[in-house]
Amino acid sequence: MALLEVTDLKCSYALDEACVRAVDGISFSVNPGEIIGIVGESGSGKTTTALSIMHLLGDKANVSGKIVYNGQDISALPEKEMDRLRWTEIAMVFQNGLEVLNPVMTVGTQVAEPMQKHCNISPDAAKVRCADLFSKVGLDRSWMDAYPHQLSGGMRQRVLLAMALSCDPKLLILDEVTSAVDAFTRKEIRELLYDLQCSRGMSMIIISHDLSFVSSLASNLIVLYSGRVVECGPTRALINGPRHPYSRGLVNATPDIFIYKDLWGIPGDTAGDTPTGCPFYKRCTQAIEQCRQSPPSLKPCGEGREIACHRGGIATLMKAADLRFRYTLPDKKTLQALDGVDLEVHEGEVLAVVGQTGSGKSTLAHVLAGILCPEKGTVLFQEGNVHEGHNGHRFGGIQIVFQDPFTSTSNRFTVQDAVREPLDINRIGNPDERLARTRDVLELVRLPSTAQFLDRYCSELSGGQRQRVALARALIMKPRLLIADEITSALDVSTAANILRLLKGLQNRRGFAMIYISHDLTLTLKIADRIAVMNAGRIVETGNAHDVMLAPHDEYTKRLVGSRIGLCCHEHPHKPEGTAPEKTPAVLSGEDRQ
Amino acid sequence: MQMTKSDKQEIIFRFALTLLVLLALNFLLPRMMPGDPFSTTSSDVQGEEVVVMTQEQREYYTHYYGLDLPQHEQFVVYLSNLAHGDLGQSIYYKMPVTRVILLHLPWTILIVLCATALSLLIGVTLGMISARNRKKGSDRIMMAFLISFAEIPSFLLGIIILLIFGVYLHMFPLAGAVTPFAHYNSVFDQAGDIAYHAALPILTLSLAQLTGVYLLTRNSLISVSTKDYIRTARAKGLGEHIVWTRHALKNALLPVVTRTGFMIGILMGGAVLVENVFSYPGIGSTLNSAVVGRDYPLIQGILLVVAVAILVCNLLVDRVYRHLDPRVGE
Amino acid sequence: MRIVSFLEDTAGSAKKIFSKFSIEGKIGVCGIALIVAIAILAPLISGYSPAKITGGSLEAPSSTHLLGTDELGMDIWSQICYGARMSLFIGLAVALIAGIGGGALGILAGCLGGTVDQLLMRSVDILLALPSFPLLIVISAFMGPSIFNVILILVFFSWAKPARIIRSQTLSIKTNTYITAAKNFGATPFYLLRRHILPEVLPVLFVSIISITSYAIIAETGLAFLGLGDPTSKSWGMMLHYATGFKSIYFTPFWQWWLIPPLVALIFLLLCLAFIGRDLEQVLDPRLRQAGGA
Repeated sequence: MALLEVTDLKCSYALDEACVRAVDGISFSVNPGEIIGIVGESGSGKTTTALSIMHLLGDKANVSGKIVYNGQDISALPEKEMDRLRWTEIAMVFQNGLEVLNPVMTVGTQVAEPMQKHCNISPDAAKVRCADLFSKVGLDRSWMDAYPHQLSGGMRQRVLLAMALSCDPKLLILDEVTSAVDAFTRKEIRELLYDLQCSRGMSMIIISHDLSFVSSLASNLIVLYSGRVVECGPTRALINGPRHPYSRGLVNATPDIFIYKDLWGIPGDTAGDTPTGCPFYKRCTQAIEQCRQSPPSLKPCGEGREIACHRGGIATLMKAADLRFRYTLPDKKTLQALDGVDLEVHEGEVLAVVGQTGSGKSTLAHVLAGILCPEKGTVLFQEGNVHEGHNGHRFGGIQIVFQDPFTSTSNRFTVQDAVREPLDINRIGNPDERLARTRDVLELVRLPSTAQFLDRYCSELSGGQRQRVALARALIMKPRLLIADEITSALDVSTAANILRLLKGLQNRRGFAMIYISHDLTLTLKIADRIAVMNAGRIVETGNAHDVMLAPHDEYTKRLVGSRIGLCCHEHPHKPEGTAPEKTPAVLSGEDRQ
Repeated sequence: MQMTKSDKQEIIFRFALTLLVLLALNFLLPRMMPGDPFSTTSSDVQGEEVVVMTQEQREYYTHYYGLDLPQHEQFVVYLSNLAHGDLGQSIYYKMPVTRVILLHLPWTILIVLCATALSLLIGVTLGMISARNRKKGSDRIMMAFLISFAEIPSFLLGIIILLIFGVYLHMFPLAGAVTPFAHYNSVFDQAGDIAYHAALPILTLSLAQLTGVYLLTRNSLISVSTKDYIRTARAKGLGEHIVWTRHALKNALLPVVTRTGFMIGILMGGAVLVENVFSYPGIGSTLNSAVVGRDYPLIQGILLVVAVAILVCNLLVDRVYRHLDPRVGE
Repeated sequence: MRIVSFLEDTAGSAKKIFSKFSIEGKIGVCGIALIVAIAILAPLISGYSPAKITGGSLEAPSSTHLLGTDELGMDIWSQICYGARMSLFIGLAVALIAGIGGGALGILAGCLGGTVDQLLMRSVDILLALPSFPLLIVISAFMGPSIFNVILILVFFSWAKPARIIRSQTLSIKTNTYITAAKNFGATPFYLLRRHILPEVLPVLFVSIISITSYAIIAETGLAFLGLGDPTSKSWGMMLHYATGFKSIYFTPFWQWWLIPPLVALIFLLLCLAFIGRDLEQVLDPRLRQAGGA
């Protein structure tokens, strides 16, 4: 039986003009000895949820829904009864602030206070227990006689923790306990909480926007957005493979989970959500009409996970099954370029396809783009077969950018001609509109959009500039999937870096999916969500980018990873083939992570 | 918690400086008058009090003021006189100023202290009630009423009260601190008579300050009740009573403590007018008649005593506040 | 041209502010307007000169004397009308001089800092620590009764509060980085004063002026009540003084028309000022908090 069960919790505040719905229908449960984490941005309703469990919201808030603690319905419990539960059964560690503790009482008195009220012990015994608690949270006993303003922020947080533990509660709610503390204190707090769970079987609800902290303790995560649960499930699975666009954005924005990946935020901001539809509608990159009309409800999607999305989470954009392709060489020999490739690309993600020269990557790219027709196998894109749809001819389709900028753009064409070519071919809009769109997209790729530049011939441009022109040409058709076939290998390092950053920025903002093909494994770590390793026409390993890179299963992948050389911050001992490198950076395995 | 040395020094320095300015003013005022100080005492505008100075008195005062000495030496004389507790001789009462003051000061202290206590009691209670019933209509009416009250100056209020309770209803006497030529059977009778006469002045003075205390308590309580530590206390399951008394009130009443000190100062200043309205023989009335009669030594003496009393009060309040609020003085 | 547009702006914002007043505030404005009207039109509406004996002594209110006459036979209604002039004049004079003077000193101290600031602050501290009313009595007793002296003394005692408030406001404005930016662009002190400091300070100044007006009227009344005012001034305070000084005033019915009118008039004036002051503070406050960020 669950220790705490919350069903359809709703909290709203009546402000001057409107009614603010801080929490809009949240349900979750906490089992005995379990730690769950509630994550989300500020304003998502995390603290309100916690306060409503303990009935601390005051009368200016309307609370509805059912809260069951230990089998007892406490949703409408009168204050006196609630007081008996408070601190002895459920305790809360508040977010550290200047005035969370009474400024005219010593901290020792404040920690001992609930003990004297609830536990029926003498003041002296309370003092002794208080001293014990202080040393447990790492504070010297002499601080018991200090006043709150004499302590530093970190010390105050420890006092709050000691205070919450004073009556030995069964359920501990922690609200943003690491927001004002340094890394050492954060680790100490984490150790303490872990120890409490192991030794006393204490259940906890950890509320935080610090995903790293929460993920180090919680077994299950609940992701809140704008007062609703958008996703929940086991921590590791959720972080490794988030199913909701918002969860994915959160993970991408947390620097120390996937440490090689560049940091990207979620475009847009929380202000002004849609009252009638899904709260994430305005910032979602894969929204459909239904998303604007009605809010999605939380539904299970396997493996103990639940998601609230009309599209069932991050949708699959393209699905390739059992692709085979064979080249016939002049001397009648055949080369099996693709030997049964299965691939999936999801909305808004970056999938990197990594492999050696001759592994079939480019062929794969061409097949997926619909340029080459496979012998066997299907490629489904947006419900239709890629080869039957004219996905390059329309907006919202598939576009491809090739490796060599000098051959992918015509020397005779001016910049303007080159970029608006797809519009010209498909007769989209009138010439003025096409010019306007050209200008817009040139600005996107950070090229000048002056008349002078537009009239320059592609032959006059550098490699980097031409690649940007090619990119602009692809982007002018607003693709939902962009295939980048080794687009930086012909460029020098600095230009390549700039193009890469530009591309990733556009991808983040516009929300299109990208298949990034490269032979450079490390480079892909910076931008890829998933990696597919290709060898001799087959995909040998697929998965979360960091998992594949840092804990490869397949032999070939291991060799690929081990082939790194040169100076860098890590040690890469040069071992013979077949052995993994000695030192592996910290791995995302929850079991032995301490 | 510990007051730093420089803090203490700062306060004492300020106190000393203010005192010095006061003494200097006290000293300089009569000397700033055109002509010699004695010419005005022998004639005056109202025709009410006519005092004629004898030659001896003239000589005495010349000596007392040290008018035969240069200015700065006169100041020294003045200061040394003060140090000996000699405030001079009252022209009108023909006795030492100190005695005059000691005769009348207790009455003023009586009404000021009682008024302070009364306005604190009623003001804090009303403030607490008002803070609890914030949204109700009856509270808004009470607040509007009390605020309007505060704008009426104390002596005008006094006249109204006198008219209503003294003249119209004949409930209270119109003048004096005790019934003249009264004969008391016991201490209680005497106390009762004093209370009977002091009632209206006390009422006036306390009404004048009531709104200030009320608003302060109310606003202080409201602002404290929204603080985080109240929520923390409530979360600890301590029960409304403890949350209210130990956590809310303790913090909310701090500003009221400071206010008390200032209130005593304001009341002592306002007592002059109020005592005049009720013909109450306190230090204020004495000052009034001293001013009318141009009794300079008495004026200076009263001024000094009143000012020092207020300054000391402020200093005490400061100390008490520092003791109550551990955040101050860090 | 600038002055015209400035006046237009002021009129426009005055209208906006008035519309935001509560009921009490609007009553206050109307009340003040009424009193000002009475003061200005005094010769027309009073009928008699307040300083001439026009009737018998202590006559009850009648058709010839609206509010009766006082001990000397002077018409009380005229005294009320002309007294309005006196109260308003003294109140406004003190408020404007002390307010603007104190405000200017406050800005000066805040801007210049250093010894000027220290000097000013010491003076303000001492002045505020002195018991004002007893000193007021003593000084006016020594200086002799005249309107000029009364105004002078009251200004002396009331410039300190606005000076302190405006100084602290100036200080907090100074710390904003938009001042640093403007200085970086080459702004002169006059520019900073005109564009940044004055717009912030003026609302506070207005509120101060209203409260000083109340204080001055109360103080003058108090002084007059004690007999220290100008006997020829015919202010309401003086009327109170004569009325309460009349022996057996309380044992006769004369207080009804001699004592009550000035009392009521004073209370009404003070209440109106108080309502206006309170509403003004509320209306101007959120803007104070938004801009300048003190």
